[in-house]
Amino acid sequence: MEEIFQLVSFPFMQRAFISCAILSVLLGLLGTFIVPRKMAFMADGISHASLLGIAIGLLLGVFPLALAIVIAIIMGAIVAALRNNPRITLDGLIGILLTTGMSGAIIIFALTPGYKPELFSYLFGSVVATTWVDVYVLCGLAVITLPLLKYFWRSLVLTTVHEPLSRVMNLPAHTANYFLYIFTAITLVTGVKLLGIILVSGLLIIPVLSSNLITNSLRKAVIVTITLAILGSIVGLIMSFIFDLPSGPCIALTLIVLLLGCFVVNTLIRMNKTSA
Amino acid sequence: MSITRFNNKDQNIIELEDVSIVRDSNTVIRDASCCIPRNQLTFIVGENGSGKTSMVSSILGLLDISSGRITYNSSTDKELVIGYVPQKIEFPEHFQLTVTEYLKYSAHISKHDLSAALERVDFPESHLKQRITELSGGQMQKLLLAAELARNPDILFLDEPLSNIDQGSGKHIIDVIMEIKDQGVTIVLISHDWQLVSSCADCVICLSCTSSPNCPCKNSLSEGNREVLQITSHNEHVTHEGYCYVQNL
Repeated sequence: MEEIFQLVSFPFMQRAFISCAILSVLLGLLGTFIVPRKMAFMADGISHASLLGIAIGLLLGVFPLALAIVIAIIMGAIVAALRNNPRITLDGLIGILLTTGMSGAIIIFALTPGYKPELFSYLFGSVVATTWVDVYVLCGLAVITLPLLKYFWRSLVLTTVHEPLSRVMNLPAHTANYFLYIFTAITLVTGVKLLGIILVSGLLIIPVLSSNLITNSLRKAVIVTITLAILGSIVGLIMSFIFDLPSGPCIALTLIVLLLGCFVVNTLIRMNKTSA
Repeated sequence: MSITRFNNKDQNIIELEDVSIVRDSNTVIRDASCCIPRNQLTFIVGENGSGKTSMVSSILGLLDISSGRITYNSSTDKELVIGYVPQKIEFPEHFQLTVTEYLKYSAHISKHDLSAALERVDFPESHLKQRITELSGGQMQKLLLAAELARNPDILFLDEPLSNIDQGSGKHIIDVIMEIKDQGVTIVLISHDWQLVSSCADCVICLSCTSSPNCPCKNSLSEGNREVLQITSHNEHVTHEGYCYVQNL
């Protein structure tokens, strides 16, 4: 226990905890709409595609996160624009974006001379890699995203239920969709340093699926999703520190354990109802 | 031939003039002109594929028209409030929205008014905390209707509103529709139920009457009970084959 209190005193752990808490709130809220829309693959695709921005940033010596955010905005806008195109399947579109981003990134890495130690931390996440600048970027993102989420909340709820109906109600369905996809993309990319490109989508998807197992209203689902995301990421970070492992897999596995716990609770509730 | 109704903006809440709709390079509706009279119950009928849903979608602003014009005539300075109850909605399976939450978000219904809103459409109050994904087809339609009614629409579009509803509730829904019509709401109903059309319709827009010699419109509405008006554009001599406008007297 003393060890846990001690690790909070380390500045890099403070940065990681703050980042995880902000990411959990943002991705928990955004994931509430992304997962029911069956857009979870989008999260995976965009986080992978953002590697292109990171690669360009590392090649040019520019802040990689900024370029990854630009790539994420472009990808999010493409998804929002072409999502309902009857001639392009959504998973196919995301697959194209993922392949394009990854291919471009790998070619740029191959052309970049020298050893690239940052690549491993971007792929799998690293506690020590997060800087105060990353934390400030996340705080800024939260300051912009949360009021916009509040503004678009009703539109997002009703667009998720039935988009044509929300448009008949004169709600800004298109704008709400662009907001959702672009800001989900940006948030995922800002979490890449901590959780890694391969695993950041887990924080968007797993808590939502877990809360669905044990809640029965939107209000409760949002609260439980955020709680599980914070709990999973903080415990995962602690595990990462104690066992000196990459933070991304530790957080993802902790979230999976919580998902299994929710599954057990769900089974017990159902058994209880059946016997009653 | 009379086109007075078509040209009278005060009487018509919505007017379609020479509207064509193209979907996936197929022309679904060609040069259709018709109107929806204010405060009346208008049925849109026609065979499968005749363009009923496309026509309604274009009026609702969900589908772009390739040519022509749709005019919305509000009786006040405010924009028309349009209500719409689709025939079937597939709610997203993993969205944890309850009946109460749906009514709150869609129509701003407060907790105090929930019971009255649901009672109006014969929706059991015991389902208030149920997730919308767990509702049956009929319950879903009733819920959507309750929400749309609470929005106080000027015009309400109902797509096959009785298709999933049992007979007892169906009668209740029809009573509600007639009641809100009497309160001044314009109703547009897509239906295949010719008994309902002949007993309730003030007006009928048939999308397959001229093109199909056996259109049920001819058999279901007695000759003495209808006044067929060929739909015309501004040029009275131009008629648009395939569309007829029936006034159920």
